[in-house]
Amino acid sequence: MGGGLWGPRWTCAALCGWRRSHPGLTAGVAERIEHFLRLGRRGPGAAERGLRRLGTWRRPSLARGPSAGPQWRPKGTNPFTRAQEEDWRRRNKTVLTYVAAAAVGMLGASYAAVPLYRLYCQTTGLGGSAVAGHGSDQVENMVPVKDRIIKVTFNADVHASLQWNFRPQQSEIYVVPGETALAFYKAKNPTDKPVIGISTYNVVPFEAGQYFNKIQCFCFEEQRLNPQEEVDMPVFFYIDPEFAEDPRMVNVDLITLSYTFFEAKEGHKLPVPGYN
Amino acid sequence: MSTAMNFGTKSFQPKPPDKGSFPLDHFGECKGFKEKFMKCLRDNNFENALCRNESKEYLECRMERQLMAREPLGKLGFGDLVNGQSEAKE
Repeated sequence: MGGGLWGPRWTCAALCGWRRSHPGLTAGVAERIEHFLRLGRRGPGAAERGLRRLGTWRRPSLARGPSAGPQWRPKGTNPFTRAQEEDWRRRNKTVLTYVAAAAVGMLGASYAAVPLYRLYCQTTGLGGSAVAGHGSDQVENMVPVKDRIIKVTFNADVHASLQWNFRPQQSEIYVVPGETALAFYKAKNPTDKPVIGISTYNVVPFEAGQYFNKIQCFCFEEQRLNPQEEVDMPVFFYIDPEFAEDPRMVNVDLITLSYTFFEAKEGHKLPVPGYN
Repeated sequence: MSTAMNFGTKSFQPKPPDKGSFPLDHFGECKGFKEKFMKCLRDNNFENALCRNESKEYLECRMERQLMAREPLGKLGFGDLVNGQSEAKE
């Protein structure tokens, strides 16, 4: 058995899984193999041997139904190689099953990840998402933590397409956790047309954002300013008293509240946060 | 910044306000109270604890003019001010 004999047989063993599922393409590929065989071994009977091999592939299977692909038969006459080929075949099937199961598992995990991640964020409070257990009763009963003074600075931004003059009316305010505080922004519409704006806010540092609660503000709803009109926009907020007990917040003394106004198009409904 | 999709970085999740949004004070009806509050803040070096009376008055003005849903002041965190006042009266 020379290199020429092993060449096509190895190719056949590697492709046999593929060819089982594509019986119709056997003929085209077989012609190419036949050509390869003719090149590999010259001599009488080479083509016949090649054809015999083709015939092996096309022989109908007896064990399985007529619609099944060509029955696999061990290529070697040596009982050791036959056992080895059977073993390879069995291992190939096992590996294929595991790979298919892993692929299906990955797909399922990617679907399950969305609600699981949301649950994880809510329990650990990462990402500043809403911590369960809030209410106006908490505001009523909370006790200010007087020894922890926090400076809250204010920032105002406007989207490039919105021509309002929007700025905070105080640069900073000193609060303690558990105490409600009021702050003002001012917005002026210098144009001659009524403009509708909608705003969102941001709190840095992010970890402190989960303790920053707004009782009432002017965000996430459309605010309409008439031409040349100037209004005061209040923000009524408090910092959760549990802020003082969080070990991660020990070094946080400065919180920055940043509002950004965008132009709202007529009839355009923006998604309001709080779906979780 | 708040829409970063990577798991490792912490991103900020904006929360809607508890009681919704303040209606705009188009006619400046409570502007006087606001000016008093801002003056108090500037005089006291922007300490909120010393100007809570003024902020309470501003919110009361809003509630009277239908610019804010009426709520008992205790629910807005002014319980100690209300009790203090009622004690002072008696």
